Amino acid sequence: MDLEKKLEILADSAKYDASCASSGSDRGGAGGTGAAHLSGVCHSWTADGRCISLLKILMTNECVYDCAYCVNRRTNDTPKAILTPDEIAGLTFEFYKRNYIEGLFLSSGITVSPDRTMELMLEAVRKLRQVFRFNGYVHMKVIPGADQALIDQAGLWADRVSVNIELPTDKSLRLLAPGKTKETVLGPMSRLAQKISASKDERRSIKSSPAFAPAGQSTQLIIGATPETDREIIKLSEALYGKMCLKRVYYSAFVPVTKDSRLPALLSPPLLREHRLYQADWLLRFYGFKADELLDEKHPTLDLSFDPKTVWALNNLHLFPLEVNKASYEEILRAPGIGVTSAKRILRARRTAPLSLDDLKKLGVVMKRAVYFVTAGGKYGGLKKETGEAIKIKLLEHKNPNGQLDLFGEKELVKEGLAGTVTGQL
Amino acid sequence: MKTFLYDGCFEGFLTALSLALDSGDACAISKENAEEAGLFSEFINAGTDQQRAATARDLIERRGSAESWQHIRFAFLSEVPGAETAIFEYVKLLLEKGPAADNMLADDRVKKVHGLSAKVGGEAHRFKGFVRFKELADKTLYSKIEPDHNILALLVPHFRARLGTFNWVIHDARRNNAALYFNGKLVYAPLAAALILEDAKEAEVRKLWKHFFKTAAIAERVNPKLQRQNVPLKYRKNLTEFDK
Repeated sequence: MDLEKKLEILADSAKYDASCASSGSDRGGAGGTGAAHLSGVCHSWTADGRCISLLKILMTNECVYDCAYCVNRRTNDTPKAILTPDEIAGLTFEFYKRNYIEGLFLSSGITVSPDRTMELMLEAVRKLRQVFRFNGYVHMKVIPGADQALIDQAGLWADRVSVNIELPTDKSLRLLAPGKTKETVLGPMSRLAQKISASKDERRSIKSSPAFAPAGQSTQLIIGATPETDREIIKLSEALYGKMCLKRVYYSAFVPVTKDSRLPALLSPPLLREHRLYQADWLLRFYGFKADELLDEKHPTLDLSFDPKTVWALNNLHLFPLEVNKASYEEILRAPGIGVTSAKRILRARRTAPLSLDDLKKLGVVMKRAVYFVTAGGKYGGLKKETGEAIKIKLLEHKNPNGQLDLFGEKELVKEGLAGTVTGQL
Repeated sequence: MKTFLYDGCFEGFLTALSLALDSGDACAISKENAEEAGLFSEFINAGTDQQRAATARDLIERRGSAESWQHIRFAFLSEVPGAETAIFEYVKLLLEKGPAADNMLADDRVKKVHGLSAKVGGEAHRFKGFVRFKELADKTLYSKIEPDHNILALLVPHFRARLGTFNWVIHDARRNNAALYFNGKLVYAPLAAALILEDAKEAEVRKLWKHFFKTAAIAERVNPKLQRQNVPLKYRKNLTEFDK
C-alpha cells in the first residue's frame, strides 16, 4: 500500500476526534526544528469549518476492540493500514517545515495489545524528537490498558496527552464498548493528572527538571449516541476540570459511522446540542458558573433556543439589571451579551469616565442581548416591564427580524447554531 | 490645513508626526502620492530626520506607555488610508492625558488606533498559520504571501525561532518585499517576481497534504459558511490546500 492510501485511511479514521488544539506549550530552543506557540496556531480549516493545526492521524486503524460507535471497530469491514514510526516521523517533519501544521496528533487503534501499540507510538514520537530534533507540538493519545511505565514515557515526549472517555457513564460504556470500563479509562487519566501536577511543582523549584505533558491533558465525550442528559455531561465535565485538572473536555456530536442496533438512528449529528454544551463548558471555565446553576434535576436539558447564559439570566431576573459602572467583574461577566473581552474592557474604560449605553456598544458589548440586563449611569434601554417571557419574545424577534415568529424558529436557530459552532478551537 | 507628506517609511512618518505636533494647528499626515491627500491643503514635505523620529518615539513612550508605542507601530503597518492622521490625533490625546488615554476605550480616537492595531496583530497571527513554504531545488523554503497589512516584519521572529536551521524566503508579493534568511542571517530586500525551481519531492508532499486536507473534513458536518469565516476567500490563492 502506498503512503498516500495509508494517509487517507488513517486520517479518515482519526477525524472524529474533536481535539485540535496546539496551545498550552512554549517548547522550543536552540538547535533543532520547530517551536510551540503558547496560544496555539490554526493552519487551515476544512470544509466542515473545523480547524487543522496538527497532522491528526492514527498509527493504525486495526483494533482488537469492537466498540459500537467507532469507525475502527474490529467487525467493521473497512481497509486496514498501519504507518511505521519512520513514516510517521518523516511525514510530520515534511509537513511541518512547509508550515502546513503545528505538529502531530497521534492516536491509534489497538494492534496486538495496548502495550505493543503504545510502544510503537512512542517509537514514532521518540524518532521525531531525537532523530529529527523536532521541537514542535505533539499530542499523544494514551492507550487504556497500557503499562504505567509506557504512559509515563508518553508524558515526557508529548506536549499534551489524552484519554478519551467517549461515553459519559459506565452503563453506556458497558453497552457500547464491551472491552472498556470506567476504570480502564479513568485509571490512566488520574495517573496522568498526578504526574502533570507533580512535574509542575518540581519545575517551580528546579527549572531544569523534565516537563511532563506541559500542555496538560484533555478528553472527549460523544454526544447523542447514548441517553445521558446535558446535566450529566456538564456535571462530569465540571468534575474532570476540578478533580483531574483537565485542560479541555471536547464534545463530539455523534455521527453514525457504523450500523448497530444499539445505536440511535440519527438523521444528522446533533450539532446545535454540541454547540450549547460548548457554551456551557465555557461558562464553567471562564465565567465562574457552577454546573448546578445552569441545569438542575427538573431542567436537565440545555435550551436549544437560547444560549445557557441567557437562560440563566432569565431565571434570575431579580439580579438584573446591573449597573455597569458599579458591578464587579464577576457580576458583569454574568450578563448576556457581555463576554470576557468586553467585561475586561468595561472595567478598564470605567476607570477614566463613567460609561453610557452608547459607550457599551463601542466596547463591543452585544447590545441587542445586553440591553435587557444592564443599566449605564442609571439609564435602562430595555423593556418597561421586564418579565422573562417578554424578554424572550424580544430576543427571538432579533433572531427572526423579517419573517413572522414561527414558534420554534428552528431553521433560524439551527443556522445560528451552526454558524457559530465552536469546534473546539482555543 | 497643513498636510505633512512622508516617503512611506516609519521614520519618515515619525518625522512628519513630530513636525505636525510642533506646528500646533489642525494637521493631516499622508504618504506622498496618496489618494486621500486633500486638494485644499498646504503640503509640506517632511523628509526623514532620524533625530526627530527618535525624539518622537521617546516622547510617546514617556507620555504614554510601551503599550501605546506598540499600538502606534501596528496601526502604522495597517497601511489603511487615514491611519497616519488617526495616529496623530491619538498621540495628541496621549500628550494631554498620559498613559490613562489607553483606558479611554470608548473614545473614538483611541478606539480607531487600537482597532487598527488589533487588525494588524490579528492578521499577523493568522499568517503564522497561513504561510506555506515550498522546498526549492537548492533546499531553500520559499513562501509567497499577499496580506492586507504590512505584517512581514511581525512574522519573521516566529519563523526564525522554528525554522532557524533552514534557509528561507517569505515574499510579500503585494508589496514587492521579501525577508531572506540565509545561514542564520536575515535581510529584507525588494523582490518583484521570484523564479521558482521546485525540489523534485515537492509535488509529492503537496499531494499528500491536499489529500490529508480533503480527508479530514466530516461530510455530515460540511459548513462552507464557517469555513469562509475562518479562511476568507482572499487568502486562499496562496494556500496549497485550496489549489485547484
